Amino acid sequence: MLALAGICLTLFPIVPGLLWVLSPAFNSATWVELVQDGQFNSAVLSTLGSAVGSTLLALIFASLVTMWIYPGRGWSLAQKQLPLFLAFPHIAFAIGIAFLIAPSGWLARGLANLLEWGSPPQWVSIRDPYAISLTLTLAIKETWFLIWIMATLLGEQAISRQITLANSLGYSRRQVWITALFPQLLPRMGWPLVAVLAYSLSVVDMAVILGPSTPPTLAVLSWQWLTDPDDMTQAKGSAAAMCLMLLLGLLILTGRGVWWGVKKLYRNPSGIRQPGKIFKSRLLGGIPVFIPGWLSLAILLLWSVAGGWFFPKLFPASLSLKSFNNADFEPMFTALWIGIATVLIALPLTLAWLEWGSRKHHGWLYAPLILPSLPIAAAQYHVLLSINLDSTAIGVIWSHLTWTFPYMLLVLVGPYYSFDARYLCTAQALGHSRFQACLNVKWPMLIRPILAAMAVGFAVSVAQYLPTLFSGGGRFATVTTEAVALSAGGNRRVLAVQSLLQTALPLCAFMSAIVLTAWYARNRQGLK
Amino acid sequence: MRTLSIKQLKLTKVDGTPLLGPLNFNIEPGQVMTLMGVSGAGKSTVLNWLIGAPQPMFSVEGEAWLCDQRIDLLPTEQRRIGILFQDDLLFPHFSVGDNLAYALPAQTKGRLARRQAIEDALDKAGLSSFYDRDPATLSGGQRARVSLLRALIAEPQALLMDEPFSKLDSTLRQQFRRFVYERISERKIPTLLVTHDAEDIPEGGKVLELHTPDSTATPSIVETSHSDVPHKITLNG
Amino acid sequence: MKKNLLVTAIISVAAFTNVQLAQADEKWDAIASTAKGQTVYFNAWGGSDNINKYVKWAGDEVKKRYGVNVELVKITDAGEVVKRIKTEKEAGRNEGGSVDMMWVNGENFRALKTNGLLHGPWAESIPSWEFVDTNKPVRKDFSETTDGLEAPWGTAQLTFIADKNAVAEPPRSAKELLAFASKNNGRVSYPKPPNFHGTTFLKQLLSELVSDASILAEPVNEESFASVSQPLWDYLDKLHPVSWREGKAFPANNAEMHQKLADGELKLSLTFNPNDAANLVAKEQLPPSTYSFGFTNGTIGNVHFLAIPFNAKAKEGAQVFANFLLSPEAQVRKADITVWGDPSVLDASKLTAEQQAVFNKRAPGSLTEVNPTLPEPHATWVGALETEWLKRYGSQ
Repeated sequence: MLALAGICLTLFPIVPGLLWVLSPAFNSATWVELVQDGQFNSAVLSTLGSAVGSTLLALIFASLVTMWIYPGRGWSLAQKQLPLFLAFPHIAFAIGIAFLIAPSGWLARGLANLLEWGSPPQWVSIRDPYAISLTLTLAIKETWFLIWIMATLLGEQAISRQITLANSLGYSRRQVWITALFPQLLPRMGWPLVAVLAYSLSVVDMAVILGPSTPPTLAVLSWQWLTDPDDMTQAKGSAAAMCLMLLLGLLILTGRGVWWGVKKLYRNPSGIRQPGKIFKSRLLGGIPVFIPGWLSLAILLLWSVAGGWFFPKLFPASLSLKSFNNADFEPMFTALWIGIATVLIALPLTLAWLEWGSRKHHGWLYAPLILPSLPIAAAQYHVLLSINLDSTAIGVIWSHLTWTFPYMLLVLVGPYYSFDARYLCTAQALGHSRFQACLNVKWPMLIRPILAAMAVGFAVSVAQYLPTLFSGGGRFATVTTEAVALSAGGNRRVLAVQSLLQTALPLCAFMSAIVLTAWYARNRQGLK
Repeated sequence: MRTLSIKQLKLTKVDGTPLLGPLNFNIEPGQVMTLMGVSGAGKSTVLNWLIGAPQPMFSVEGEAWLCDQRIDLLPTEQRRIGILFQDDLLFPHFSVGDNLAYALPAQTKGRLARRQAIEDALDKAGLSSFYDRDPATLSGGQRARVSLLRALIAEPQALLMDEPFSKLDSTLRQQFRRFVYERISERKIPTLLVTHDAEDIPEGGKVLELHTPDSTATPSIVETSHSDVPHKITLNG
Repeated sequence: MKKNLLVTAIISVAAFTNVQLAQADEKWDAIASTAKGQTVYFNAWGGSDNINKYVKWAGDEVKKRYGVNVELVKITDAGEVVKRIKTEKEAGRNEGGSVDMMWVNGENFRALKTNGLLHGPWAESIPSWEFVDTNKPVRKDFSETTDGLEAPWGTAQLTFIADKNAVAEPPRSAKELLAFASKNNGRVSYPKPPNFHGTTFLKQLLSELVSDASILAEPVNEESFASVSQPLWDYLDKLHPVSWREGKAFPANNAEMHQKLADGELKLSLTFNPNDAANLVAKEQLPPSTYSFGFTNGTIGNVHFLAIPFNAKAKEGAQVFANFLLSPEAQVRKADITVWGDPSVLDASKLTAEQQAVFNKRAPGSLTEVNPTLPEPHATWVGALETEWLKRYGSQ
């Protein structure tokens, strides 16, 4: 019961706020204005293109990588790098990519040295009108996420046996993947794919850094409109936000339709065995997919210690720690305490729900993960405004909970529900109350997934951009808000430093989770 | 000759300690050799080696010959060896019939011809009109049968079985065992069976007992006969 | 008899004035004591490190001297803050608003004033007002009277920046700029409106291209807007094809333009602070060969202000802070180009010689020539120009 109350407190208040935000959208005059706005059509096109494009590309890349290196030394190497790049915040990664591929970026400088250019080339790389750079960058980050999802699905032993079995029937590995494995994996990746799609559709911070500006994507446009003093513009913003949700719904339906069609192709297998390459367990195979990540990290590090560094120099004229010394660490600390507070509140909620909440009807809790975040952030602001909690720390933490909680739930739900109920039964039979049994037996046994969930929750909180801005009234500058604000030009060194700080936070969280688990389980093999 | 021969099989653990071997044995067509031993003795390792599955934990030396062809150097898909696991591992995205069609070699061309061949196989196994059924709706025994059919319909030259009966209850077990051995002797396929349960040993079949390295006994091949006391044959090497 | 009357009159006036002054002093003391312990959330454009550091210094001083805490809330556009205050008013939040003081001018001030979102008048009652140079246009904001609702903080003027090694002879008028852009294909641009730097660039061009500049001082007329602004759109239609990205994309703000200038991707950048370039050279963000320049006939200049919203929680603290920011000490430090370099609104004759000397400091990169100041058009032109620009060029 308490669990339900806690959840309700966290999530339900958003509903009236959402209605308030979206109410202008229910006025047909608003829609007329919206469609007539010159920026609308291109914005929708670039949004759809980048969202669908990045999701599909991510799926294809992740599939190719898995097909190519699972399971072997390459796969283990990839698994080792995954936590780093999952923790690498989207924004920091995008900033690093921008440093690499901008016309005055590192790649261009390399070419300039080869081809003897005096000025940066006129090519259009970042902020291109077709949102290609945005699409590709999103795709790369999401590829890593999908590889992680696939890894959890593939971890089941049945899969490796299936590969052996299908192999023994005469099929090459590539065919085994296409005919036998993917049809099983893809349906189970349904919701993660929807989450990826929803994110790409409604991402604001990445689109500000890499996306087109004339016009921006629909999410950015909606955000700009919602923060405009003019009433009609605000209404257009609401309508645009609603449009995003409708687009998501449409895309999900389309996806289902496509999948239904694809399933038909699998009927009546013809038994043709195509020749294929023999699987070799390549160690280096685990690296290529992470190359953009490594490059992005490297360029951020280089910029953070650079002195004067102008085009077309490939390396900084001087190195100095000045940027770090003068750096403002306050945004980092702000993000740190907000994150810790959020996680510490979300954890009991999550555990309470998993333990005492309904097992069947928890789909709706994941709603924030698949709905566009912009209208939710705006709704939160209005709710907080009406109870005078806007621009307060409590308001910001509450707003972060909306996303932290579902992510933690997502990470914990698998291990939690598959936990052997007999342990709890045994503990209770020994005379402990259910709560005590959980406290002393169940939760310590689940320490590994719990710490992992906490790390994930922390990372999610650190990465929040819109909620921090809206609910905090601009008073809480976190590394994320700083990085986005600085990303539009200005001091690239300061930007690099803040991006690295932004990366350092979740990274430390994940490392602590690993170290704490190892320490806690130091004498207990069964917990590892 | 469709004989499965194992020559000089040696298993070594990653740190260099020898686990098993050297082992030599032959399995004649239609014969079932049972591999028994405690956990950790290396039974699954031998199986994995024969089927060509990767095993990071052990290094294996030796030769495997099938139909006078050396197969341990070939990739799995070229070995023509079928395998049956504990779990039926029927592909959930295919119907029962499609699972079999997946295994049916491409030599049988044409939708109708293929369907006919599969229907025949299903009929013989007592599973007529199961073609379009969803594997998840079948009972455990039915799934096991389909799994075997699938392995056999691919026309393998040899068959490996990794504790295929252990998930079935005792009555089903007997039925399925009989079903399996009938098929094997019908098709004259050399079979290697790994199991814990001595009851799984078919009559007239040989048994290879593997012992853990710290026990003093060497691996030995025993032939079962109708009498209670197995007749032991000591190995060379 | 008459003499006595005169004397009495003079004495009573003097006495009255003294009483007024005494009252004013008392009032200020009351404000100062209420302000102690308050926290002032100061919403200001955070796009420049120097400014942020200066504000932090000012905040620390005010804490030391008057016990008022100042928290800087960095914003990208004052329009956001206007929206926030408006939302709060609509939600019935008449007290305890989230903004205590904001850095504002122009169309945003006008929006605040017309919607009754400001507290005041208070600007002319603060002690530092006596130092302000009232000859400067400190009582009008884009032709809108301030009515004491905002206090002047500094002046700004549109200034251009270039690299000596790339641009030896810079363009000094709109016409020359177009010719320059044609010769340097793809190397000229401006921030995308409605960024305020971009909008001011448009206003600058319009003021040069329009036949009679005085029309801009009047509120914009919907009917005549099309014909009055036509020269500007014709000009831009010629400029865009030869500008950066062929006018299909624009830098987001002036900081991005500085970065592109540093890398040679653009040949010109612009700023409101004539000493911005000097700061950036000192921080190694621009090469040492950078210089600032203006136009022959002048560029648009304005005064920027500090205002207090109607529902501010710390009204007294805000006034104390504003008072400090207008004090000679703070204004001189602000004008120091090694700190910020924003020109002062104070009357130089009321300052000491030492303080005046600071105004004359120069550094590599800062504006050395005389650049006449053109007046800002009326605030209503901003919205009209931005909307029309977005309509024509906002989507490519």
